[in-house]
Amino acid sequence: MADKEAQTVTAGAAATTDNDKIQAMLKYDKIDYQTVELTGEIILPTEPVDKCFAHIKPQLLTDKKLLANLGYPTDGLVDNWKEVFLRKMDEMLKKYKSVRVFMDICVKCGACADKCPYYIGTGDANNMPMARQELMRKVYRRYFTVPGQLFGNWMVKGEELSLELLNMWYTYFYQCSECRRCSVFCPYGIDTAEVTMAAREILNSVGLVQKYLHQIINNAQTMGNNLGMQKNAVINALEFVESDLQEETGIDNIRIPIDEEGAEILFVTPSADFFASPHIESLYGYAKVFHQAGISWTMSTYASEGGNFGLFIHNYEHMKKINKRIWQAAKDLKVKRVVGGECGHMWRILSSYSNTMWGPFDWLDQRYPIPEHICEFTLNLLKRGALKIDKSANDEFIVTMHDSCQIARGMEMGGTEYGQFEIPRAVIRYVCDKFQDMPEDTIRERTFCCGAGQGLLGDDMLPTRVKGAIPRMQAYTAAKQAHGVNFIALICAICKAQLSKMFPTYGYPMEEVGGIHQLVGRAIVLGAKEGV
Amino acid sequence: MGGMTFLTSIAISSLFYLSVFVFLAGFIYRVSLYYSTPQPLKIPQTPQPVNVGGVVFRMAGDVLFFRSLSKGTTLLFFAGWIFHITLLVTGIRHLRYFLPMVPDVVVWFSHVAIFIGFVLLLSLVVLLIRRIVDKKVVFVSSLSDYFVLLLLICIVFTGLLMRYAPFRPDIVGIKGLMLELVNPVTAFSLLTLHPPHAPANYMFAIHIILVFILLIYFPFSKLMHMGGYFFSPTRYMVNNPRTKRYVNPWDKEPGNLTVSGEGGQNNG
Ligand code: HEM
Ligand code: SF4
Ligand code: SF4
Repeated sequence: MADKEAQTVTAGAAATTDNDKIQAMLKYDKIDYQTVELTGEIILPTEPVDKCFAHIKPQLLTDKKLLANLGYPTDGLVDNWKEVFLRKMDEMLKKYKSVRVFMDICVKCGACADKCPYYIGTGDANNMPMARQELMRKVYRRYFTVPGQLFGNWMVKGEELSLELLNMWYTYFYQCSECRRCSVFCPYGIDTAEVTMAAREILNSVGLVQKYLHQIINNAQTMGNNLGMQKNAVINALEFVESDLQEETGIDNIRIPIDEEGAEILFVTPSADFFASPHIESLYGYAKVFHQAGISWTMSTYASEGGNFGLFIHNYEHMKKINKRIWQAAKDLKVKRVVGGECGHMWRILSSYSNTMWGPFDWLDQRYPIPEHICEFTLNLLKRGALKIDKSANDEFIVTMHDSCQIARGMEMGGTEYGQFEIPRAVIRYVCDKFQDMPEDTIRERTFCCGAGQGLLGDDMLPTRVKGAIPRMQAYTAAKQAHGVNFIALICAICKAQLSKMFPTYGYPMEEVGGIHQLVGRAIVLGAKEGV
Repeated sequence: MGGMTFLTSIAISSLFYLSVFVFLAGFIYRVSLYYSTPQPLKIPQTPQPVNVGGVVFRMAGDVLFFRSLSKGTTLLFFAGWIFHITLLVTGIRHLRYFLPMVPDVVVWFSHVAIFIGFVLLLSLVVLLIRRIVDKKVVFVSSLSDYFVLLLLICIVFTGLLMRYAPFRPDIVGIKGLMLELVNPVTAFSLLTLHPPHAPANYMFAIHIILVFILLIYFPFSKLMHMGGYFFSPTRYMVNNPRTKRYVNPWDKEPGNLTVSGEGGQNNG
């Protein structure tokens, strides 16, 4: 009796702590997703609706060991969270020019509002990019600006820290795939992705850590790959692919070399390429290209992952630590070049950030780009006529290409500002006869996210993913209606995972999704070697 | 000097110095903050040119022609651009009050001045209506967003009124006042309570006091987009991270990769 009483008392008392309250607010519920009819037209919401998509909460990470590994609080929301929050935010403002400037200069013109795939998909007002930024700017104005402190909140719409605000942050900063589409249309290039990344790290610092994304960061740091595979599992997987490849082609010296010291090239690619479908088809493609080019290459068990989810939050240390494996492997394996496979965010870090974090790479062969994208590599061979191609192998396809956000809006390829649009398309044209682009405002720098980038790929995020994919699905439908397109070529592991799930969800066959090197692999005529 | 004139004169003069000081100090402080905050990584947003010349050209397109804005929104682009360009012309025209010798451009603009003024007013009204009608913009707008537009409308409106008979001020007197005010020595004459004489005209007093308010408000507000744009990393950074190592100001050390053997295990 007394025991029972004591229990209710503690339970009652416990429910009043901030942590209990926020845990209740952020409780994950499995919610059914809803698709829309595919008409080929991207329909903008007529009017934004406040919080109509607020019920989608990604799962929180509760594993104390992982949290401790990552350096985040282990018991949920910390007691002095307001203090920690503001301290972290201050740090973000001081460490990132992007965050500082973007907090100040938005004129709230709304040019970005209806450019976000999640706003288009959900119609939720808080998914308009400037409204997403406002979630942080409210706090910024209240605590970090003179008018906010002087005139209070009514003048500038400032906001006190509260649990409700945390709830909004956790909800809407995980309905942004950091795709940077908004930044294309903003007169000042305000990049909501930078704000989202900072916000996520602030949430982490107070103890609200999203599960999917951070579990993977931990795997990559400790095991070297996102899936958390041990070294021999990696070897088994790759050996399995190799024997499959030999069987399929009937050529017994086609290989997937592992940890071979002194190879010319270290090749890194997302570990999803080892098993997932359609990813694995591209792995066959890469192996065929290297084989046919006659250049020695190797994969690494130490750097068995190209992806780096450290990008998705403003935590430089995580990203740097994961990135190190690749360059360490390159050094240890004494390679001369590093080539990266098909993946968007991986390529952005590899090409844009590696040089800052682990460069200068003066110990690698300077005649080639460091690192080199597999499309740059393949196109170069194709142009030199070093690969024999039989386009008819792809005759059944009318191909279109989805520009992955992080590549298309990320950086140059081939040394020109348009290379990242042109080079992948050029590769496709070399290996397929029929290529058709999707509508202009859905490709190149205006490309729409697949709907699951930057940490939204977990199953808990399915309702958001299904909505975020709408613009891309409509654009694909438009190309289908106009040109009979029946294959979407991708250069990103996340896009592949998302679209191969979304296509069946929206009623298209999964086989219409694949990688560019899947097409290359099909068209290469093996064995017939002519002047490399 | 009569009592009322003395009060107006001293108010205008002291507000002039106060607002110019706040504006300059605030603007410089904020811009130096943008300048000195480190940017750890290269985040240009494509298609960003791969050399400095190209980037300057692209940024000029943004500043002069609102290139990025023109990609997405027609009404806002036109209204916004016309507002800024007419504001610029109006600003240039106001130079005639501050320069002893009036440059030719300024004189030339006087043919179209009244037209420009009305277009400026109209574009501001369009922007204000848009801010009231467009539900997306309403959702994020605060009092301060309406305030700036209203303030600018009042400034332009009072300015235009002064071109008409009952409100027409003593232009020569104003120019005299302004020329005196921009001379720093005048600041000290304030201490001896000998302010430069301001022409008695209520419309002029309202107009110029509103401008002082704008100047004071400027550095604390979103109007800092004027200076901030030039520090927007997606726009000013050159797109060449592979060929030129970008140094993170708070992580300057070149990567230290010693051969560990760790990464090169044989699968023997
Ligand atoms: C380098 C100079 C400047 C550039 C490149 C620039 C650019 C822009 C752009 C692209 C916009 C968004 C579109 C629009 O709403 O018109 C904007 C908005 C605005 N600008 Fe500027 N601007 C500059 C200087 C100024 C100055 C000096 C003022 C006023 C004193 C000003 C006042 C405003 C206002 C009030 C808005 C918001 C309009 C609204 O509420 O819809 N700008 N500016
Ligand atoms: S980065 Fe992409 S997902 Fe995020 S607000 Fe901008 S457009 Fe939306
Ligand atoms: S387009 Fe840029 S300035 Fe305009 S509301 Fe969006 S983020 Fe703000």
